[in-house]
Amino acid sequence: MVAGKKTKKTHESINNRLALVMKSGKFTLGHKTVLKSLRSSKGKLIIISNNCPPLCKSEIEYYAMLAKVGVHHYNGNNVDLGTACGKYFRVSCLSIIDPGDSDIIKSIPGDQ
Amino acid sequence: MGLKSERSVFLIFKISKLLCYSPETLTTNTSTEGEGESEGAKMVKFLKPNKAVIVLQGRYAGRKAVIVRSFDDGTRDRPYGHCLVAGIKKYPSKVIRKDSTKKAARKSRVKCFVKLVNYRHLMPTRYTLDVDLKDVVSGDCLQSKDKKVSAARETKKRFEERFKTGKNKWFFTKLRF
Repeated sequence: MVAGKKTKKTHESINNRLALVMKSGKFTLGHKTVLKSLRSSKGKLIIISNNCPPLCKSEIEYYAMLAKVGVHHYNGNNVDLGTACGKYFRVSCLSIIDPGDSDIIKSIPGDQ
Repeated sequence: MGLKSERSVFLIFKISKLLCYSPETLTTNTSTEGEGESEGAKMVKFLKPNKAVIVLQGRYAGRKAVIVRSFDDGTRDRPYGHCLVAGIKKYPSKVIRKDSTKKAARKSRVKCFVKLVNYRHLMPTRYTLDVDLKDVVSGDCLQSKDKKVSAARETKKRFEERFKTGKNKWFFTKLRF
């Protein structure tokens, strides 16, 4: 199906963009720092894995709603998101503070 | 210690349910996308004066409060983001039509507190309460006991008159958790 192909392609592009952010931009990983970045209105995009606990997920989404920041639900669990960030640990939620060279902020919310 | 953290987590859960912003409406990416793509770089600071918050930790856990003054970068004594909140210690009871005016006045009493709270121990809500408390709850009102008491008394007056007008009903109802 076309839809299936499309998601695979966009999924790879998200990973590419994330890798670029990791290299050139500023980000924070983890629930506590994500909330901190939202409170100080530094976060520009929030990415949540699909197995993030529902309480944490709704808390982050609520803060993001108040701060008018986009939330992207990553198509993968925290292990995948950690791998996509190039880390050897699990990442349930991350906040992009400065995208650097990447265009993740402009492209990702509009994509899905 | 474990019990306390469980309680605050449970609080957050109940809060997210009661804030009437169901997770279902949030999980669809389209709803958040609209804001994200229209203004890419605009973020809103939301811990501002007149914001209604819920205190999550301490003696007043589960109580609703209003931010009077926020210190984003902290002060020398408190090197973290915190704010001065004025909250409700004891909510007003339910006033029914049968009550006499004396009883209704007794039931509409509000007991208030003034406190400096770390941002971490607050849950911001989408509600605001625009009661002018700036002159009453000033920076130095927490320095001595009698200043604190007089500030609390003055906010009690303002809260009570706001409650009697019937506006901001959400703020004056007890959060059930």
